[in-house]
Amino acid sequence: MKEGFEDSYIVEGKMALPYSYFAGRVGSTFLTTLRDKKKIMGVKCNTCNKVFVPPRQTCERCMEDIRDNWVELKNTGTVTNFTVVRYEDKHMPKKVPYVLAMIHLDGADTPMTHIIEGVKPEKVKIGMRVEAVFADEDTNTIMNIDHFKPVTEKIEVRERADAGGTGAKTYTGEQPETKKGGKPAMSKKVIITAALSGAATMKNQIDSVPYEPKEFAEEAARCYKAGASMVHIHAREENGMPTHDVARIKATHDAIKEKTPELIVNLSSAVGMGKTPEQRITQILEIKPEMASLNTNTMNFSIVDRKTGKIFIDFIFENTFTMLQDFGKGMEENGIKPEVEVYDMGGLDNWKIVAKQGIFSKPYNFNFVWGVAGGMAFRPDLFMVLKNALPEDANYTTCGVGLDEFPAINMSCLSGGHMRVGLEDNIKLPNGELAKGSFELVEWATRICEILGKEIATPDEAREIMGIKK
Amino acid sequence: MAKKKKNRNVAIVGVGQTQYSSHREDVNQPEMIHEAVRLALADAGITIDDVDAIVHGNMELFEMIHQPDLWHVLGTGGYGKDSFRITTGGTTGATLACAADNLVASEMYDVVMTVGFEKLQEGHTTGGITNMADPLWSRQLQTGALTGSTGYKMEKEFGEERANRAAMMYRIIMDKHACLNHNSHRSFGLDFDQMDELMENSPRLVGDLRLIHMCSQSDGCCVVIFASEKKAKKMAKPPVWVRDHITVHREETFNIFGFDENYPVPMTHRFAAEQLFARNGIDSPVDYFDVFEMYDPSGWWGADWMREFFLFENDEHLKLIEEKEIMIDGKMPINPSGGVTAANPIGATALVRVAEAALQVRGDAGGHQIPGDVNHALASGFGGTMWTVLMMLERELSW
Repeated sequence: MKEGFEDSYIVEGKMALPYSYFAGRVGSTFLTTLRDKKKIMGVKCNTCNKVFVPPRQTCERCMEDIRDNWVELKNTGTVTNFTVVRYEDKHMPKKVPYVLAMIHLDGADTPMTHIIEGVKPEKVKIGMRVEAVFADEDTNTIMNIDHFKPVTEKIEVRERADAGGTGAKTYTGEQPETKKGGKPAMSKKVIITAALSGAATMKNQIDSVPYEPKEFAEEAARCYKAGASMVHIHAREENGMPTHDVARIKATHDAIKEKTPELIVNLSSAVGMGKTPEQRITQILEIKPEMASLNTNTMNFSIVDRKTGKIFIDFIFENTFTMLQDFGKGMEENGIKPEVEVYDMGGLDNWKIVAKQGIFSKPYNFNFVWGVAGGMAFRPDLFMVLKNALPEDANYTTCGVGLDEFPAINMSCLSGGHMRVGLEDNIKLPNGELAKGSFELVEWATRICEILGKEIATPDEAREIMGIKK
Repeated sequence: MAKKKKNRNVAIVGVGQTQYSSHREDVNQPEMIHEAVRLALADAGITIDDVDAIVHGNMELFEMIHQPDLWHVLGTGGYGKDSFRITTGGTTGATLACAADNLVASEMYDVVMTVGFEKLQEGHTTGGITNMADPLWSRQLQTGALTGSTGYKMEKEFGEERANRAAMMYRIIMDKHACLNHNSHRSFGLDFDQMDELMENSPRLVGDLRLIHMCSQSDGCCVVIFASEKKAKKMAKPPVWVRDHITVHREETFNIFGFDENYPVPMTHRFAAEQLFARNGIDSPVDYFDVFEMYDPSGWWGADWMREFFLFENDEHLKLIEEKEIMIDGKMPINPSGGVTAANPIGATALVRVAEAALQVRGDAGGHQIPGDVNHALASGFGGTMWTVLMMLERELSW
């Protein structure tokens, strides 16, 4: 007892009273299915189409009786929120520290609360995939699910047809003479590029964005399997920051080439925010990839809130005429084919001015970039204006940031160009779900080819089209 | 205690009650509540979208759920609506009605839904009530809600024989009423010729309070919808007007004032009745009211409290019982519903009194409807350490 209170008595009290809560018929079905079938059931409101779990007899928003509308849910789900419980108390269901999470089960619309085990608390992330582990002993409560554990999902790639998969076909016929060499004509072959990382897409947004050389190699291989013939990369440090470190970039480049020798690796000469011109070009000239990006104009390249217009990070992406000239020369002299990045018509005109020096070898390869905050938003008519302004002997591909990705690549494929997708530009599938990786975006790009009756180019065919001398 | 200014008239426009029972294993709490919500909305001919606010109440700790109103949104339909939780002990249900009247009269809301519920089968009533006692000196000694002091007091005043017969007569009349009400939890089919046997054989709980005298522990929910005059007049059913209500709470434990005749302390029941009737110009409540739905937790209390509510001085209350004038077709019908000994889902119980009084005024009480017009109704709530809420309902806006 604290000094000075020796004469103050404490009357100890303890009340232990029984309580028994009736689950009701609806709740009982949920519990018995959990117990007997190891299945998690929800109920669906046919008015608002929401699936509730744990189930309820009434949709309280629509006031509909939904007790019979049972829906079987998957035992897997996504963490939508979590906290780490670190203090110990008698009522705790598990030994601390443990992770208490909101889990959005696959097939449900409401998250349920449960515990995550089998992973260190610091490794738990929002968006993490988890699956239910059922209790050995029956409790007739929600604890019949003992906990959730991380899912190690098997990644399946929809592989290209010539490799035995169900994916897009590779072109096997002879390329007509008039369409060789990158004429802006209706090529039968479509080159799909996967931009694996970019400088700004981070693991807290999507786990499959690669940081490590090994991760780049694995993701590149999956993209190749799905139909990509080129990967565009910005190498990253261990902590995810974009790097100009030659050794790290070379390790990343080489890891990709080692695992998938067929692939064309296209290195970024932008690298990331705040890099000097020397840092940007030196790595390319030293590593000598088959292709590298070449940027055409100084522009705003900012991070903004698209809904509110609020500016988060303001940045000027510097690409002077001198840089365009020097980088271009350096690449051509080292047998590196430039991919000319066109953010607007001015950029294309800049290139045309510098090209008068006779720096660039034919065929030329352009990439129309849409949706950068500081560049153009995608518009089909604008796309055609750019396409029609291209010089003779030019190929074009396109990429779009976020929602611009799929409309832009559709337009490109339709009009005779090529397509670039990947987590650098966009992390979501056309249906709004998070992509499992760049490879899944490649799968969707190949579907565009199938719909338009086109076939995808092999890396060698891509080299032939783009004029890359291997 | 002057009558408070009321900005506008308020009416009861919808009533919904579950079947009262001690076996509702088929539903959880929000599901049970939803049954009454649905019935009340249908009775009023409105949807949940027409409801502006919800006032929710039950007993603290009885089911050991902190802030049950949050969970119960699944059943009340209160999603996105202004909601209040009220818990004032046994008077909770009556306080819900008073709060709804005030909220609508204040012009803050046009339509307010009150939700009173209890699921006593899930919890531990006596444990909850015992927590009311002074934790230092009384908790270890308190026996819950049961008390034999009223029986003792009546026996002392009127003699053992007369007092016991009156309490048992009252109880049997309540059972006869309960048999007419399909929502009753307990209806035994008792008859007057069983009186001697019951007085002899029903087990004693405390003093002369016997098991048969005492109310049950019930599960159930009562929902009553209140609306402004303008809204109420547009609804399908005739409105039942809330004329006035009074709340008298006094913090005291049973043994502080005791029976010291030198220091008479009027019961809150009498104090409330005196104030309410005086300010409404009612000289003889027993003549004025056509029905009284009383919160009567036991036969003893029912019999004794009539004297306080009707402001009787002598044995008029016993005579009314002995002459069976409190029966449904009597001069002063008390609890045509069967009262609290028929069903006691505590957080709902006092609201059931208001609901049943309203149904009587509207003529919609069904099997237990009083023959003849019911123009003026009185409902009471009881709780805590002798607390009172009284509410007056009227058929016409004529006062």
